[in-house]
Amino acid sequence: MLPLADLQSAMRDAALGGDMDRLSGVIVEDGFSHTERLSIHRGNTTILLTEALAATFKVVHKLVGEDFFEAVARLYIRAHPPRNPCLFEYGHDFPTYLASLPQLDGFPYMADVARLEWGWNEAFHAAEAPVLSASDLAAVDPDDYAQLAFTPHPALRLVASPYPIKEIWAVNQCGADDDAIVDLDEGAQTLAVVRPKAQVEVLELSEPGLTLTEYLAAGERLGNAVERVQTAVPDFDPASTLAVLIGGGAFSTHILQS
Amino acid sequence: MSSQHQSAHPVLGPIPANSLPARAGIGLKAQHYQEILERGADIRSIGWLEVHSENYMCAGGPQLNWLTALCERYPVSLHGVGMSLGTAGPLDAKHLKRLVDLERRVEASHVSEHLSWSIAKNAQGGGDYLNDLIALPYTEESLDVFCGHVEEMQDALGRRVLIENPSSYLRYEHSVIPEPEFLLEVAKRSGCGILLDVNNVYVSAHNHGFDAHAYLDQIPADLVGEIHLAGHSQTVIDGRAILIDDHGSPVIDDVWSLYEYTIARLGPIPTLIEWDSNIPDLDVLLGEAAKADRILAAAHPPEEVRHVAVG
Repeated sequence: MLPLADLQSAMRDAALGGDMDRLSGVIVEDGFSHTERLSIHRGNTTILLTEALAATFKVVHKLVGEDFFEAVARLYIRAHPPRNPCLFEYGHDFPTYLASLPQLDGFPYMADVARLEWGWNEAFHAAEAPVLSASDLAAVDPDDYAQLAFTPHPALRLVASPYPIKEIWAVNQCGADDDAIVDLDEGAQTLAVVRPKAQVEVLELSEPGLTLTEYLAAGERLGNAVERVQTAVPDFDPASTLAVLIGGGAFSTHILQS
Repeated sequence: MSSQHQSAHPVLGPIPANSLPARAGIGLKAQHYQEILERGADIRSIGWLEVHSENYMCAGGPQLNWLTALCERYPVSLHGVGMSLGTAGPLDAKHLKRLVDLERRVEASHVSEHLSWSIAKNAQGGGDYLNDLIALPYTEESLDVFCGHVEEMQDALGRRVLIENPSSYLRYEHSVIPEPEFLLEVAKRSGCGILLDVNNVYVSAHNHGFDAHAYLDQIPADLVGEIHLAGHSQTVIDGRAILIDDHGSPVIDDVWSLYEYTIARLGPIPTLIEWDSNIPDLDVLLGEAAKADRILAAAHPPEEVRHVAVG
């Protein structure tokens, strides 16, 4: 008799596309072979996890089409099955997986679009927290700005791409103009995903602005963070980046560090 | 069977049969949040709502806020699909903690799970989640594993849970305990209640050739805290049909008959209309719920049934 743990391991392998013969003689046949019965479970796992991925990566699904998405999802599910039952957390390495596929060589933006969708998904499910507004900072003496440090809002996610992924993402949302055209030569985009209220929003930053945001999100003081960015980009002016970040709700709290 | 399992768990309360109204409820779908909140008092046919616990185990965000808003208007039941109580080895402690946190947050009327497994331990010491509810072999080993996990879940929550009979597409040569007996033994050892899914009984009875009425007759009224109804589909392999429990269509007439039979025998019990794929308009779900409500309203409590039978 197969111990329960061994049975479950053999059925996991069968559900994920592996050998079913180990279960011959274990499954009651009774009109259907063990492979026919196990195929129902393989189908359940494949179809339901593909649906979960398609729900998270809606734009990728639309861009590559149903058939290709299903084929890729099947391979991904078998190589990277979920490690916990909360499926809104499933797919964090799907963008990297897409980047590894030679079939997508002609679509170099696809993995970055997936990264944006994953960032959106994480922002959507992130914890509630206060949103730091410009008026919260009104009491800070401008002479002390260099000492400001921020805690990022739990929803804040940063995504950078050599392609205009925000436009690609936007024109492929439900209800968007189907005939819209995105020029891939429009250039790189560096984005912050935020959720200031109930809605997830995508903000555009400059490339050095994104670097500044990374430093600030890691808790660096504003003065240090700006200096570090200016080492690489001497004429970088943080004002517009800070306006976008604070206006968009990227931070939760601030403190003055002496 | 070890002696410490002979009686029900002493610290837990009664089967939560009274914490939901003995009316029809519906499975809450994201597509319907807004409409339910906007229509509000206009929707009298929603007695209560049920959600899949795993969909709301996020740290925050709009979904949890919708659920919290709906919890203020309707009793809410948490139905888990991922605890995998039938998996050999320890339960996922992190997942159990997330369930406890959610249960506290929504003040759930019921907490339920399935008599099945969906996670297989992997070589890395974690588990692979198959997103499927797979039947167990009904053996003494499975019984020990399953009862231990139900007890662990109940201890963590500090309350009784309901365990749902599965729909199944396969059986194992080494199964030695009939499913209803296994389920009743789980209830006896752990003190849990039963979530009786009438559609699952119908689906499994068809797939394995047993008598659905005979199965239902073995389930005592005092253990059943909730009933589930759903639609299923049919797949034909080599000219033979196998029923698939996909919750993607209306409840079929044969299952309604089985439900009437069940309610006549057990008395009115909170009944959920489940619909998880090809989600229809809210009014379609409400129509199914109204149908269940009519059957519930016509039912006598079990005492009266017994009285009539004795008299």
